Amino acid sequence: MKILVVDDESIVLESCKRVLGDSFEVVPARSAEEALEVMRREPIEVILLDIKMPGKDGMTLLREVKEKWPNIPVIVMSGYATTQTVEQVSRTEAATFIAKPFTPIELLEAVAKVMEKEGKL
Amino acid sequence: MFYSFRSKIIASFLGVTFLVGIVSLLVGGHLLTKSVLGEARNRVAQDLNAAREMYENRIRVLEVSLNTTTLGYGFIVALKDKDTSDLVFRLGRMAQHGGLDFAGVTDERAETICRIGTHSIPGKKAQPPNPIVLQALEKKTLASGTVVLSEEFLNSENPQLAERARVDVVPTPGATPLTEKVVTSGLTLSAGVPILHEGQILGVLYGGILLNRDEKIVDTVRGTVFRNEEYKGRSIGRATIFLKDVRVATNVPAQDGGRAIGTRVAEDVREHVFEKGERWTKQAMVITDWYITAYEPIKDISGKIVGILGMGVLEEKYIDLRWRTLASFVLVTLSGMALATLLGCFLAGKIFNPVHRLIRASEQVTEGSLTPDIGPVSSGEMAVLQKTFKEMVAAMGRRRAESQDRLLLSERQASVGRLAAGVAHEINNPLTGVLTYTHMLLRRKDLNEEVRADLQTIVEATERVRKIVKGLLDFSRQSKPDREQVDVNRLISSTMALMENQALLKGVGMVFKPGHDLHMVNMDRNQFQSVLLNLLINALDATKPGDSITFSTSNSPVKNEDGQEGIEISIADTGCGIPPEHLNKLFDPFFTTKEVGRGTGLGLSVTLGIVQRHGGTIQVASEVGKGSTFTIWVPLEGRVK
Repeated sequence: MKILVVDDESIVLESCKRVLGDSFEVVPARSAEEALEVMRREPIEVILLDIKMPGKDGMTLLREVKEKWPNIPVIVMSGYATTQTVEQVSRTEAATFIAKPFTPIELLEAVAKVMEKEGKL
Repeated sequence: MFYSFRSKIIASFLGVTFLVGIVSLLVGGHLLTKSVLGEARNRVAQDLNAAREMYENRIRVLEVSLNTTTLGYGFIVALKDKDTSDLVFRLGRMAQHGGLDFAGVTDERAETICRIGTHSIPGKKAQPPNPIVLQALEKKTLASGTVVLSEEFLNSENPQLAERARVDVVPTPGATPLTEKVVTSGLTLSAGVPILHEGQILGVLYGGILLNRDEKIVDTVRGTVFRNEEYKGRSIGRATIFLKDVRVATNVPAQDGGRAIGTRVAEDVREHVFEKGERWTKQAMVITDWYITAYEPIKDISGKIVGILGMGVLEEKYIDLRWRTLASFVLVTLSGMALATLLGCFLAGKIFNPVHRLIRASEQVTEGSLTPDIGPVSSGEMAVLQKTFKEMVAAMGRRRAESQDRLLLSERQASVGRLAAGVAHEINNPLTGVLTYTHMLLRRKDLNEEVRADLQTIVEATERVRKIVKGLLDFSRQSKPDREQVDVNRLISSTMALMENQALLKGVGMVFKPGHDLHMVNMDRNQFQSVLLNLLINALDATKPGDSITFSTSNSPVKNEDGQEGIEISIADTGCGIPPEHLNKLFDPFFTTKEVGRGTGLGLSVTLGIVQRHGGTIQVASEVGKGSTFTIWVPLEGRVK
């Protein structure tokens, strides 16, 4: 199972890979453009997406992904977990939201919840 | 505007005084003229009466002289004996004593026997008729009065008399056009007494005074009536006797300085006196001066008007009196106006100095001063104005301080917010790494206890950092309240339910006294719940087992500046209380008294921010060792700030 992690911070990419690496094939992407490239190239089961990125931001990417691949669940993560952000995310029908920083357990739970909901587990 | 208003007040004062002054001047002047001239006329009329009295008196004196003479026995004897020398002697003595100009004795047929004067014994030629004697004989009693005697008669009596009687008529402006150029007849005061002896008329004793050119009567009148009073070197009173309309005896001065004998009376006077037989008073130009004059007819013994008795008072004296009085009036008016101006200035100053000071004070306020000098406090309405002004400035000061505080606070909040957002973003990413790797390490089974404990410390410290960043984010959340109608009593109940377990564990009692019929409030339910939660957590932190926390609500009687009604929520604890020096820092961001790691110092400032965004206020009352009470007031329709 491939999970795409999009974040401009390598430590976040590394952390996710470290936590999820046992159960998933983690494909990292450092920007929205790179993420789209990966999406076009490979079949992705779940996307873990950061909101705040230089260049095209997470919200824009989220909308594009939902347009082209409406069945792929997205978990939005943000270090800027304000009510507004959460609201914005919920309007775009992202599967779930996880606030940074998170513990490995929190991340695994969030992914498991999404997979369960989508019937992929 | 200020000065023009002051000028207006002074002008009003002046205007009123001026108006009153002018009116009183006009009315007073008119009344004065009327009364002064009326007084003068009255005086002249009275003087004329006095003159008439003296005129009549002169006739009485004449009568007495004649009567006294006839009573003497020697006179009767001399008359019976026709002893002319004795008679002339007696007549001469009588004339001398009585001041007579002519005197004589006739027989019972009116033929002159003898007389004083140059021709004491008349010759044989026919005598001119003696009107006074004829009347005495006719009436068989004393006849006396004014008599006009012809030149012929006077000449026969004494040529000097005829000469004295002759008056050249002087053309006088305003008089009736001249008819005769010379007056020859004489105006006399005459009397005749029939001399009776044993029932028989022996004859008539007659005598008289020629008034033509006589100075005695007119000067006596002047001396008696006017006491020779003078005004500016001129005699104030004048007396004149006219024969027909010609002055024959007068003390009116002529232009050459002598007496104005021969001048004539004005035509209108002549008309009134002669034709209407009336007394006549008028202002008249008499030869050189204006006089207030009075005239009345002189009638002869047969009742015919033959002359005029005239009196005059120098008008100048009264005119001057009038002018002097008018001048006093003007002076008083001018003084009044000056006084009014001074008073106006004084009053305007008294009124406007404080106003001026207030204007200057408001300028000072405009320039930024909050301690303007308004000068000494006046009395009355001005004091109220000054007091109100002071209060207004003080209120402005308070409000400015408040708004500065508020501005400062919101600036601080905004900068802290920006900082928090940045920090949150920057810290959370590496923190994710720290948390992930520490947890991953902790999963390993081959760790000794020491390493595990160290890793556990890292996890706890990281959790603390996470909390701080979370607090920062909450604080930076300046989001607009998402309003709905909220039942605050229910909100409090549910908030208390959230913390029930903690309170129970700590042994702190929680009480709620909900207000009856509490109004619904338009507020952001979630934000307000965090406010209540925050205060409740703080209260729990401040209390120890056995203490209590009491929530209460009520509809507040207090209204805000916009007149909005509100409710009051209070949360009182019996905890440790807040030291006074901490009270004013309570709502500052990052201020905390909690032990390190337990509080971020952002809770109350977030709380205050939310309440303020709802248009509400928070007040704290606290006593160390006894507890604290936080009271929130929120308007029913919260404003959006």
